[in-house]
Amino acid sequence: MVGAAEEAQLARLENQVDNGGGGAWEYLSLVRKLKVRRSDKVFKHGLSILNDHKQRSGLGGEEWTLYEQVAVAAMDCQCLDVAKDCIKALRKQFPESKRIGRLEAMFLEAKGLWADAEKAYSSLLEDNPLDQVIHKRRVAMAKDQGNFSVAIERLNKYLEIFMADQDAWRELAEIYVSLQLYKQAAFCYEELILSQPTVPLYHLAYADVLYTLGGLENYQLAKKYYASTIDLTGGKNTRALYGICLCSIAIGQLTKGRNKEDKDSFELQSLASTALEKEYKKRASDKLPLLAATLRNLKLQP
Amino acid sequence: MMNLGFTIGVLGVLILSHAAYSTIQYRGLLKIVEEEFSGPPMNVVLELLVGLVLCLWAALSVPGKFISIHPDSDDNRIVSLPDNLDFMIFNHRGKVLQPDTGMKLKC
Repeated sequence: MVGAAEEAQLARLENQVDNGGGGAWEYLSLVRKLKVRRSDKVFKHGLSILNDHKQRSGLGGEEWTLYEQVAVAAMDCQCLDVAKDCIKALRKQFPESKRIGRLEAMFLEAKGLWADAEKAYSSLLEDNPLDQVIHKRRVAMAKDQGNFSVAIERLNKYLEIFMADQDAWRELAEIYVSLQLYKQAAFCYEELILSQPTVPLYHLAYADVLYTLGGLENYQLAKKYYASTIDLTGGKNTRALYGICLCSIAIGQLTKGRNKEDKDSFELQSLASTALEKEYKKRASDKLPLLAATLRNLKLQP
Repeated sequence: MMNLGFTIGVLGVLILSHAAYSTIQYRGLLKIVEEEFSGPPMNVVLELLVGLVLCLWAALSVPGKFISIHPDSDDNRIVSLPDNLDFMIFNHRGKVLQPDTGMKLKC
C-alpha cells in the first residue's frame, strides 16, 4: 500500500535522482518497498550503481538484491543482454538457488519462449509445489499470451489454496473487469473489502463495478461505497466525489417522481459537487469552468 | 526541546521522591507524638500533584511525536495500490520504446 506521505517521498526522491542529486540507492530501496513499477528508472540508476565498483561493494549483501531488481527491470525494458548478465552474476554467486531458477524462467518468458518457460516453471514446481510466485508467474504467462480463460482457471485454482492472497484477488478482479465479467469482479472486490476493510481503493473499485453493472439497487449500493471511500479518505478522492454525483443522478432518473429519500439524495449530491468545486478551485482553477459546465449538464439531464 | 523535557522529567521524579521522603518523615513524627496516620499533610499532596504533572508532561513530550490514527491523515491515507509485480508481463509496448541500449553491465 502506498500512503500519501510515501508517494510524496517517492516523487521527491525520483526528481532528485533524475537531476543527478544522488540518493539512487534510497530511491531503489523505496521502489522495492512500495512495489511500484518504475522499470526504466530502476534499470538506469541500478545499472549505474552496479557498474560503479566502489558503490557496489559499499552495499554489502544488498548487492545481490540489487542485481535481482535490475534483472527484472531490464527484462521489463526488453534489455535482454543486461538481464542475462545480471542473472549470470547471480548464478555464479548462488549456484543452487531456486529464486534464480525463477529469474531464469522469467528471462525465457521475456524472450517470448513460452514453451521453454512453461517447462522451466513446471520443473521448479515439482521441487516445491507450493511456490506462490511460480503459480502467479504461470497465471501471468497465460495472460501474456492472451489466454484469459486459462489465466482465470489457474488463478481460481491458486486462490482455492491461498485464499488470503490479496494481490491475487485483485489480479483476478482486474482480469474479470477487462473481460467485462462485472458480477465475478464484484465478488472478488467483496472478498478484498472483507479482508481489508480500511483500504479505500477497494471500496472505490467495488463501487465502480457496481455502477457499471447498473440497476437501481446496484446504483444505491455503489453510492454507499463511494460514500465510504470519501469517509476513509477524508474527501480527498476526486473519483469518489464524481461517483456520488453520477450515482445520485442515475438513481434520480430511475425513480423519477416516486422517490421517498429524494431530499437526502439531493443533499448528498450537492455536498459532493461543492466539495468538487472547492478541490478544483484549490488545485486546478483553470479547469473550474469545465467542471461547472459538467455539473450543470448532469443536473439538467433528468 | 528534548533536553528541556528530560530535565523536567528528572525534576518531576526528584519532587516525587522528596514527597515520599517527607511522608516517611511525617509518619515517624506521628509515631513519636502517638497520633493516627490519616493522610499526608497538605504541602506533600501539593508536591505530589506538581510532580505528577511534570512527569506526565515529560513522558508525553520526550519519547517523540504522536503518530496519527486517522485513516484520512497523510501518513495513513492510501493513495495507490502497489503494482502487482508478481503478475508483471513483459509483452508490452516497452519493446519498441527501449531505453538507452548502449548501457551494459560491466563485470
